[in-house]
Amino acid sequence: MKSEGLRIQRPAVIGAGTMGMGIVEVLAGNGFSVQVVELSQDLFNDALQKMDKRLLRRVEKGKMAAREREEILGRIRYVPAINNLDQVDLVIEAVVENLAVKQEVFKDLGACTSPDTILASNTSSLSITGIAAKTTRPERVLGLHFFNPVPRMALVEVVAGMATSPALVEAVSEWIRTLGKEPVKVKDVPGFLVNRVARPFHTEAYRIVQEGTAGKAQVDRIIRSAGFKMGPFELQDLIGIDINYAASVSVYEGYFHDPRFRPHFVQQRMVESGALGRKTGKGHYSYES
Amino acid sequence: MSRNIAVLGKGSLFTAVCRFLRERGFAPLTLEQLADHDVCAVVDVNPGVDGQKRQQLQLAEARISPQTPIYTSTLHRTATEIASWLSVPERVVGFSPLGLEQFPVLEVACPLQAEEVKGWDQHLRLAESWGKQVERVGDQPGLVFPRILSLLVNEAAFALSEGISSKEEIDTAMKKGTNFPFGPLEWADRVGIEQIAAVLEGMQREWGDDRYRPAPLLKKMIYAGYVGIAAGRGFYHYQDAKLGG
Ligand SMILES: NC(=O)c1ccc[n+]([C@@H]2O[C@H](COP(=O)([O-])OP(=O)(O)OC[C@H]3O[C@@H](n4cnc5c(N)ncnc54)[C@H](O)[C@@H]3O)[C@@H](O)[C@H]2O)c1
Repeated sequence: MKSEGLRIQRPAVIGAGTMGMGIVEVLAGNGFSVQVVELSQDLFNDALQKMDKRLLRRVEKGKMAAREREEILGRIRYVPAINNLDQVDLVIEAVVENLAVKQEVFKDLGACTSPDTILASNTSSLSITGIAAKTTRPERVLGLHFFNPVPRMALVEVVAGMATSPALVEAVSEWIRTLGKEPVKVKDVPGFLVNRVARPFHTEAYRIVQEGTAGKAQVDRIIRSAGFKMGPFELQDLIGIDINYAASVSVYEGYFHDPRFRPHFVQQRMVESGALGRKTGKGHYSYES
Repeated sequence: MSRNIAVLGKGSLFTAVCRFLRERGFAPLTLEQLADHDVCAVVDVNPGVDGQKRQQLQLAEARISPQTPIYTSTLHRTATEIASWLSVPERVVGFSPLGLEQFPVLEVACPLQAEEVKGWDQHLRLAESWGKQVERVGDQPGLVFPRILSLLVNEAAFALSEGISSKEEIDTAMKKGTNFPFGPLEWADRVGIEQIAAVLEGMQREWGDDRYRPAPLLKKMIYAGYVGIAAGRGFYHYQDAKLGG
C-alpha cells in the first residue's frame, strides 16, 4: 500500500489520565506542541504535576537535561473543550473506557475538527468500528492502542476499523515509528492482538491452580524458568487483578463465549475480595511491609 | 552405578536430550543398544500421539531391571496412562522434555499408580543430579509450561489464520507488548509444531473441553511437514537449517 507521507504538526490528546499523559509525554518529548483536553483545569494541573514528577526524577538521575524538561512542559497546553481545539491534524482520545462517553467525544471531534483530521482512540477493548460510526468520516478513524506505561512500552497496535482507509493505517504506522515506537497493524477484533493472544497466559494459570495441578508460586517459578520476566500471578499483581479480569471478560464477551477465552471464577472472587494486587497491598501475594 | 541412559524418541528433541546427557557425563544409548548394556534410567521423549511410544517403552521395560526409573514425556498423555502400559507402573516419572538444555527447572509428575508408593521420590535424584530444580506438579498432559505455551501458540495461530496481523507482527507484538522472551510463533518453530499440537490434543482428549481444540492451521502444518526449525520450515522459513541438514 502506498503511504500518504503523513506530516503531523498539531496533535491533541483527549483525557489526561494515566494513558493520556503518557501519550502527551511521548509526543512532547518528540518535539510536538500538544493540546490536551480534560474535564477541568484542576484535573489537568494534577495530571501535569504527576508527569512532571516523573520528568524531575529523570533529571535528578541525570537521564534528562533540565532544559529538556522545561521544553517538554512548555509544549503542553491545556484546552478546556473539544470545540476549543486549534487546527489539530491528529487527535488521540484516551478518556474512560466507556462506549457512550467515547462516542460522544468522537461525535464532537467529527463536528469540531477539519475533515482531514485523523481521529484515533486508545481504547483497549471497545470496537473501533463502533466508535468511528458516530463520526461523519469513519475512514479517518483508527485505533492507536498504546501500552502502559507509555513512555517505556514500545508497542502500539494500529487498529483498522471496518471503514478505516488502508492507506491511512500505513501512513500512521510509519509516523508512529518516527516517535521511536513499534507499530503493529491489527484488525478490529475483540482484544485486538496482544490482549487476545495473551489471554490464556492468565486464564490457564488460574485453571492449573484451581484444578490442583500446581500452586501459584510454583506456576510463577516454572514460567520464569522458561524465560518470562514474570509468571502470570506476579504479573497480575502488577497490572491489577481487576484490570486483568475486566480484559478477560471483555474478550470472552466479544467472542460470544468461545470457550478458549472463558475466564475463571477465581478471578472474580479475587476482585470481590478486594485483593487487587500491589496497588491494594495484597493480591496473589502480600506486599505489606 | 551405570552412567548409561537409554533414550527413546526421534528428531530434534531426541538429539537435544542426548547432547544434554552427554554434557553431564552420561552415555545415551538407543533401544537397540539396550540389549547388551546396563542402564541407570530410560528417558523417553516420544510425545506419544501414535503407537510408537507404547511399543518402545514396552520393549525397553523388558530389557531393564524392575527398579530402573523410566522418565517419559507427558506432553500428550498423562504419566498415569503411560504407566498403565507397563508391568512396573510405579517406576514411571512423567516429565516435560521442553527446554531441557535451557531451563533451570524440570517439571515432573507422579502417576496415580505410584502416589502411595514410598520411595517414588528416589527416582527424582537422577534429575537433581543433572543440576535441575525439580518441580513436582499434577499429572496432566503438558504439565504447566508446555500447556501454557501451547495455548499461547494456538491463539496466535488462530489470529494468524484469521488475518488479524502478519506472523512477524504477532511475534513483535507479544515481545514488545507483554515482554514475552520469544514471539509465540517463533517459539513454536523452536519447540516443534507437533509437540504443541500434542499438548492441545492431549488436554482436549482428557478434559473434553473445546477450549483446547487445536487451530486447524497447526494440523495443516503437520500434514505438510512444516513442523519447525528442525524441518527447515514452520511458521518461518529456515534456509540454513535445510541446507545444513
Ligand atoms: N491503563 C491501561 O493500562 C490502559 C492501557 C491501554 C489502553 N487503555 C485505555 O486508555 C483509556 C484511558 O485509560 P486510563 O487508564 O488512562 O484511564 P484514566 O481514568 O486514568 O484516565 C481517563 C481520563 O479521561 C478523563 N475524561 C473522562 N471523560 C472525559 C471527557 N469527556 N473529556 C475529556 N476528558 C475526559 C478523566 O477525567 C481521566 O482523567 C481507556 O480507553 C483505556 O481502556 C488503558
